Amino acid sequence: MTESATDTIQSGGSAATAAGSTAAVRPAPAEAIALRNVTMSFDLGRSKRMTALEDFNLSVAEGEFVALLGPSGCGKSTVLRLVTGLEQATSGEVLVEDKAPADLAKSHRLGVAFQEHALLPWSSVRENIALPFRLARRAVDWQRVDELIRLVGLVGFEKARPRQLSGGMKQRVAIARALVLSPDVLLLDEPFGALDAVTRRRMNGELARIWEEQHITTLLVTHDVEEAVLLADRVVVLTGRPGRVRHVQTVDMPRPRHADITRSAEFRAVVDHLTDLLDVDRKAE
Amino acid sequence: MIRRSRLAGLLHLWPIVALVLLWDVWVLANGYTSIVAPRPWSVINDVVGNPDAYAIDFLWTLAISVGGLLLGMLLGTIAAVLISLWAPMSAVLTPAALIVRSVPVTVMIPIIARVFGYEVYTVLVVTVITSFFPAFVLGLSGMASAPASSRDLFVVFGSSRPASLWRLRLPYAVPNLLLALRITAPLAVLSAMLAEFLIGQQGLGYLFIVARSYMEIDRAWGTALVATMLSVFAFLAARFVERRISPRFT
Ligand SMILES: Nc1ncnc2c1ncn2[C@@H]1O[C@H](COP(=O)(O)OP(=O)(O)O)[C@@H](O)[C@H]1O
Ligand SMILES: [Mg+2]
Repeated sequence: MTESATDTIQSGGSAATAAGSTAAVRPAPAEAIALRNVTMSFDLGRSKRMTALEDFNLSVAEGEFVALLGPSGCGKSTVLRLVTGLEQATSGEVLVEDKAPADLAKSHRLGVAFQEHALLPWSSVRENIALPFRLARRAVDWQRVDELIRLVGLVGFEKARPRQLSGGMKQRVAIARALVLSPDVLLLDEPFGALDAVTRRRMNGELARIWEEQHITTLLVTHDVEEAVLLADRVVVLTGRPGRVRHVQTVDMPRPRHADITRSAEFRAVVDHLTDLLDVDRKAE
Repeated sequence: MIRRSRLAGLLHLWPIVALVLLWDVWVLANGYTSIVAPRPWSVINDVVGNPDAYAIDFLWTLAISVGGLLLGMLLGTIAAVLISLWAPMSAVLTPAALIVRSVPVTVMIPIIARVFGYEVYTVLVVTVITSFFPAFVLGLSGMASAPASSRDLFVVFGSSRPASLWRLRLPYAVPNLLLALRITAPLAVLSAMLAEFLIGQQGLGYLFIVARSYMEIDRAWGTALVATMLSVFAFLAARFVERRISPRFT
């Protein structure tokens, strides 16, 4: 059942640097995120351990958009937490820009939107989005804040407090907050989960547009196959418990990808293929 | 609308009216002389008729209560902050706080007086000690109530420890600290009174002893009446502050 993770990664395409490959002979795109032979197991007490990730390999090139796709509980969020440095791998190596993951966070160059929106309940939408400026001890660029409020469609809600917002609106605030410092690396954990289908597609479009402007290295966790294919350069499909790389799909459809691309035969074929791969996993469970 | 709400406000005063009436009935039914227990009217008369006799001691107790309350809560909050910044501090502060908490104030006061002397500021020390613990415990649990996802977020955005404290944990502790204020405010008045009664040379507690020793029964009971009002007022003021500010932080 388990294909070799390393093989799939190597077949995975242009921008991917194969895990464990020797230093580039030609100047390949710099590797922004690297997880090498990572195993992550959690201590559940009473000498029970739960292995969330096993022998996991992933490499994201600078400026690349990679989507992680997999059944829930397969370790997608764990991968993201390892890349933020919030979690330490049990074994293996996690590098961001060739350094320990926490370094990027300390230098305020990491943008993250977790599954939980984690907004400050006493702050307005505007203040919540400005928070990263304050934590970086930089003067708040209000023009940038307001631009992002426009981008995520929250004009008119600048002064609203989180409890006055719907779940989807809170998530959009969290996305704006993740983007506000123009980070070098962007990590998004099911950021559109609470959105209705229409808003979700619109936000997908906005994210694609922002990404095409800046080419931020992005790792997106999702269980929406279409979203993954629409946005990503590569889609990594994970197996369930413990999480491994089942398949890496390169998506080389031209950008900008508009909504109508989702109806093209090529797009549907990729989506169907990936959906089948996810289904295999469900049947196995 | 306004008239009706005023009426409702007056209705809230029914326990006081009932208390005064019961007091009078109790005195009459038992046939107490005014030496044993005065009737409420003569006590109220003494307070209303001689505000000067109460004013200075009232203001004194008010100042000591408020000062001790704020200082004690500040120290309690600082202790909680120290622990949240540096966990090993807990091993030092928590046992001390628990000991202070489990010894009754009445027992503590003579000991404190021995240590600090029979001075005015000893009364303040007693009030500070009373006010310390609620702010300490509730402040600590308030700071711990900041959700894990928010704490993670602050780490990921490279927040410094002071910034996490100031922008995340302390704001999360505000409703709890205001709750501590409401709980502590009447207690602070009570412990200030008690300390004045036992060691003071000023304040309502002291006025009570003096009046009693001169057999000024109306004055002694009047002191109790004024102290009760002060205590109720302290509670109402704290609750007002809590209701105004707490919703902004939740
Ligand atoms: N801190 C933790 N302690 C124990 N188990 C954990 C912890 N974090 C995650 N897990 C477990 O690891 C597995 C993968 O979790 P997660 O990465 O959140 O999955 P996903 O995001 O793909 O749904 C799950 O079975 C989850 O219960
Ligand atoms: Mg998850």
